Amino acid sequence: MPIKDISHREKFLAGGNVYLPHIIVIEKIIEETYDTRTFHFNFKDDNLREEFTFESGQFGEYSVFGVGEATFCISSSPTRRDHLEFAVKRAGKVTNALHRLSAGAEIGFRGPYGNSFPLDYLKGKNLVFVAGGIGLAPLRSLIWNAIDNRAQYENIDIIYGARSPADLCFQYDLDAWEKDKSVKMVTTIDHEHEGWQGRVGFVPQVLEQVAPAARNTAAIVCGPPVMIRFTFPVLEKLGFTPEQMITTLEKRMKCGIGKCGRCNIGDIYVCRDGPVFSFAQIKDFISGEY
Amino acid sequence: MSRKRQRTSYDKTMKKIKKKDIGNLLRQWQSDFAVFTPSRKSGTARMEEWDGQDTSFLEWYRNTVIPPKGNIFPNMEEMFSFHKDGEGYHLELPAQDEAKHLIFAIRPCDARALKIIDPVFQDAYEDNYYLTRRENTLLVGLGCTDPHESCFCTSLGISPGESGDVDLMLTDIGEEFSIEEVTEKGKELLARTEGLVEAAQPDELRTRESREAAAKKISRKLDTTNLKERLLSSFEDKEFWEKAAAKCISCGICTFLCPTCYCFDINDETSGGNGTRFRSWDSCSFSVYTKMPAENPREDKWQRVRQKVCHKYEFYPRLFDITACTGCGRCIRLCPVNWDITRVLESVPEETTAQKENRNAN
Repeated sequence: MPIKDISHREKFLAGGNVYLPHIIVIEKIIEETYDTRTFHFNFKDDNLREEFTFESGQFGEYSVFGVGEATFCISSSPTRRDHLEFAVKRAGKVTNALHRLSAGAEIGFRGPYGNSFPLDYLKGKNLVFVAGGIGLAPLRSLIWNAIDNRAQYENIDIIYGARSPADLCFQYDLDAWEKDKSVKMVTTIDHEHEGWQGRVGFVPQVLEQVAPAARNTAAIVCGPPVMIRFTFPVLEKLGFTPEQMITTLEKRMKCGIGKCGRCNIGDIYVCRDGPVFSFAQIKDFISGEY
Repeated sequence: MSRKRQRTSYDKTMKKIKKKDIGNLLRQWQSDFAVFTPSRKSGTARMEEWDGQDTSFLEWYRNTVIPPKGNIFPNMEEMFSFHKDGEGYHLELPAQDEAKHLIFAIRPCDARALKIIDPVFQDAYEDNYYLTRRENTLLVGLGCTDPHESCFCTSLGISPGESGDVDLMLTDIGEEFSIEEVTEKGKELLARTEGLVEAAQPDELRTRESREAAAKKISRKLDTTNLKERLLSSFEDKEFWEKAAAKCISCGICTFLCPTCYCFDINDETSGGNGTRFRSWDSCSFSVYTKMPAENPREDKWQRVRQKVCHKYEFYPRLFDITACTGCGRCIRLCPVNWDITRVLESVPEETTAQKENRNAN
């Protein structure tokens, strides 16, 4: 996945300034879990609403004016353009401020930034999605993208886990994928829980049990760092090569465009060169830093 | 060899001015530019707008504490302001600073530093704040005559006496400064500057001697042989990095005062419903710099020191083909605990323990 030419994105620059956000309007807020919400939004500017394009895997910088900016992937699919979505887990200053907003609120958006999932590589392959917790947010953009172009892909497997039933995000998606006969969906929680009828076990373990065939398959992985670290060895055991394993990295970011410095690992800036990487690209990075 | 080099530089016009006339020269330039010179007005030596009088910096100035990067990339700067009314939020860019600036007496190391960090602000997305100010700023260099013990610019391919990174270059030739034009912009300025005298053959000779003398005064040398490779192979050598970081107190001063450190933070400030988004210098010396809700890739001090050193000497060269260090020595002489990057770099092992064992086994 080489660094893509991003010059075409200049048309989405507000006032020709890379740090000036566009105003977006929150249209709907979905309570995913006790600490996670999905925000549906649209651009205030009608032209931008029409023209704006992005690809699955890209992210934006979202501003609550007076509080600050934070980085979230665009969690909706570019195939569904009625509105855009991002999901936020309450953790710090900006995420808490976002959680205090109601529908109709105006916030700022810069983007889309970063590279995207390599659709050309994925087409014609079996897809195995492995996600944990809020890590499903970037993958669901690609999952819906693939489902909306179903004929272009072979089997689709989704393995999704969370700490407890209360931590499962995007329940409406999980339900839809359960029902979708063209998709194989496995949901799991870490530990036994009263009333939970489904599968129990950590995501990497469940992946090992499901044991998808590696042949002509790409695994797309996103979740907490600890889940990612344990998932790659399982995939290796199942015969996946590092090129077949794809993930999207999370780093603290401010500018989102390779300048402010903090998402640097080696000669890579996660915001500019990622966030999507194959395991082949990152396995020699400098362990412990991802 | 040197004849050819002389020819090239001496094809350009060289003029000279008496040291006591520098005030007149700066006053003349003030009609076209906001002129900045070394100043201790704030208590810390930095490039500040000249008061039209005081040229005493010519006596005390060796280099500024705060590098001139701060004139192009301020330690705090407004990015835009916002206010809310019945129709929602409105954003406004700050008034563009169209004023032409002239920085007088910038050292060759600090002029090179701007060249080094330019690509960050040009790359992919153009950073208007930096690039506009950079474009509007003319650099007039002044060669060193009294470098610090901590200076090691010559190890980074920089001469303390000459510079290709400024528009005009001044050299101390005794009672006078010679003035060499370096760029087209410098040439234009020189052509319309009054009160200068054409430099003669002996002045050119004295200029060369002064430059050579300055270079000889740089006594600190950094051996950069295989440095990138050594850093790459020692990246996982925790023991080495822990030792290298041992006395660092993570105060961040080496990064703030480094002329090539450019990391920044972005924050909002509000009063009432209105506010400002601004950016400020940040530092990889701080653990909060990379802190995420669940994890921090550089929680430990040794990881941050490693990041700083490797970014300058290994990652940045891989990205932009140039080392992000000028040997200005600020991080050495201004460090409160005498941490010394040249010592650290020189002690990076040629091969890791594992490689050594491997080699011995063969």
